[in-house]
Amino acid sequence: MTTTAPPAPATRTPDAPVSARRARTRARRREHMACGVLMTPFLILLVAVFLIPVGTAVWLSFFSDDQPGLGFGPERTVFVGLRSYTAVLTDPTFLGSLGTVVLYCLIYIPLMVLGALALALLLDSGVVRLRAWAQLGLFLPHAVPGIIAALIWLYLYTPGLSPVVDLLSKGDITIDFLGVHTVLPSIVNIALWSNLGYNMVIFYAALQAVPREVIEAAVVDGAGPVRTALQVKAPLVRSSIVMVAMFTLIWAMQLFTEPMLLSQSSPMINSRFSPSMYIYDAAFTRNNYGLAAAASVILLLCTVALSYGVTRWTNRSQKEAAR
Amino acid sequence: MPGRPSRRSLLAVTAAAPMTGALSACSGSAGSTSRGRGGTTRITFWSALRGSQEVVDAFNKTHDRIQVEFQQVPSGAMGGYAKLSNAARAGNAPDVATIEYPQVPGFAIDGVARDITSLLSQRLRAKLLPQALGLTTFEKRVFSVPLDVEPMVLHYRTDLFDAYGVEVPRTWDEFARSARTVRDKDRERRIAVFPTDGGTQFAAWAWQAGAQWFDTREGAWNVSLTDRPTREVAAYWQRLVDEDLLFVNATESRHHDAQLGDGLILARLTGAWDAGSQMNARPGQKGRWAIAPLPQWDPGKPVVGTHGGSTFAVTKDSKQPEAAMEFIEWQVSHPDALRARLSSGTSSQYPAVPDLVAVGREAFDRAYYSGQDIYRLFEEQAETIRDGWVWGPRMTATQRVMQDGFARAGGGKGSLIDAVRAAHDGTMPDLKALGLSITEHST
Repeated sequence: MTTTAPPAPATRTPDAPVSARRARTRARRREHMACGVLMTPFLILLVAVFLIPVGTAVWLSFFSDDQPGLGFGPERTVFVGLRSYTAVLTDPTFLGSLGTVVLYCLIYIPLMVLGALALALLLDSGVVRLRAWAQLGLFLPHAVPGIIAALIWLYLYTPGLSPVVDLLSKGDITIDFLGVHTVLPSIVNIALWSNLGYNMVIFYAALQAVPREVIEAAVVDGAGPVRTALQVKAPLVRSSIVMVAMFTLIWAMQLFTEPMLLSQSSPMINSRFSPSMYIYDAAFTRNNYGLAAAASVILLLCTVALSYGVTRWTNRSQKEAAR
Repeated sequence: MPGRPSRRSLLAVTAAAPMTGALSACSGSAGSTSRGRGGTTRITFWSALRGSQEVVDAFNKTHDRIQVEFQQVPSGAMGGYAKLSNAARAGNAPDVATIEYPQVPGFAIDGVARDITSLLSQRLRAKLLPQALGLTTFEKRVFSVPLDVEPMVLHYRTDLFDAYGVEVPRTWDEFARSARTVRDKDRERRIAVFPTDGGTQFAAWAWQAGAQWFDTREGAWNVSLTDRPTREVAAYWQRLVDEDLLFVNATESRHHDAQLGDGLILARLTGAWDAGSQMNARPGQKGRWAIAPLPQWDPGKPVVGTHGGSTFAVTKDSKQPEAAMEFIEWQVSHPDALRARLSSGTSSQYPAVPDLVAVGREAFDRAYYSGQDIYRLFEEQAETIRDGWVWGPRMTATQRVMQDGFARAGGGKGSLIDAVRAAHDGTMPDLKALGLSITEHST
């Protein structure tokens, strides 16, 4: 293909013929062009759906349509500096929503990573019969759109409608899935159901790439299947674990669909339950775009900082493990 | 040629003018004010109020110069206000919008409701109940015209009150005692429900007790949701809840409908308008309900707050504000308008124009309430509405945070006053971010 560059010579001879140098620059230029062509769609999307919205949000968060005094005068757009940010950060409801999502991450991410890894190891070890069917069955929920999943679970959680609640009540177990303490685990459950299969497939694919010799060697050394799985296979798919943990974290920070739908049936989920719901409420109920923009930027910064923290931490511990 | 429109641009404008008229007529969208062929002015009107179609029909029948296009919109909480805000942002809000009292300051601050001080005729101003107009006037500027004003009253089941030997309570102490009697005589029934979605009901109780959640007298928004009267009201209801004398649940729910339908609740503390929706929702309970004044803290000096009630605003996008105002004036003050609304059989609104009370008394079918003259009662109660109450700039959000807290309190987490405090704390950042001058001290 024309896109592959000819291998560059290890050392440049000073008396190289001019034509050869020209050919090299031409090849390099062609390479650059191909690079540009291939990158363009990505860059267009990056600018259109990420950089421009982020820029708009940042701009909105620093400006406001203000009226002096009681606010009944004519509006004028003014630069307000960090006012919207201080308002968000002093809002107990926003801090509460941030706390909720942190708690959610603490429950959800470990369950998700360990659960998906355990399933993938089970499938890989060959304990599970009908592997393809098991894989399909576990992956299928991921194909259900989040909003439909939330509706299905809403039906299963609502007392009076739900066959599960009915069945449990026949066995003299009363459980309110949407109560004060159960509502967060209920949301975690929906998310697990939707995403477990997907992440399991990622782990499973990574496990397929583990060299068979290594496993054979472990078996020869006398490691049982459990020990092989935990001490040989799992460390070898470490990079996938980090990736899944990171994606799950980013996804979890933006928690919105499930609580939004469940909020219609449970008074325990308020309109500012998660940061994303707070932002939605600020923009569309309270008509306060500066506040919504500032909260969005804060959420973005939190997510970026946490993702960075996760990468730094795993890099360091990886280095330590290598030592 | 600067300063003079070119011939081409003039041509373009004249060619485009009929086009826009045709387009807006097709889409039937809001804000499409246009003059028809016969010199009639068309204005658009959005409302979620029952009986609005009847009122608009009656107006269109009797008016040639102005014709109203009516669009039924969802109620505010169900998305009606979001729709209005978004339409205003897009520049196509209707000429006339319906806004409930608590939301008037918010829409005025956002510039959706136009300052109509100069459009409001002296005649209409004189007709309106001053307490009602006071709720839509800020810095001496009027932002909307009250349609109805709804003093909170006690709707109660006469048959069940008799069966349990309960007298109609005149004071809140008597109400608590009656609640105890009902609970003791029938564990299944309760005198009333504490509405976990009732931010407006709680506001009406605080209002009656002398609270002043918002105040604009000093040129800034003073916020004091947890002032002494409010704390006392919260403590009173908390005691009833703790003693298990009330149901604690949402009132906008099927569960509550069932409670009322099965006769598990003996009384409702709601606005005068609720008499009409009761007739509509439970025709089978005809003859079993009556209405009494709200219990008082000090029966010597009776005061009440309001619960519900709507106003009409001319929006910033209206191109025919005079015509819009004419329609509003007719709607709030003409006997035919009230007759048309009551003819729908689902309304018992108490008009903000006291002259119309006689019309209402005559047009309202008293059979459901065993012939009780409820309009006379409403009239007496309307006069005791405590003056000086001010709604806040972001009342929907304030109430929502409060109701979230009430729901948690109902689930056994936190107390009612915690909910009020959360609403106070959740409101301040909102107002700060809007750039309003705000202060915070308790009255």
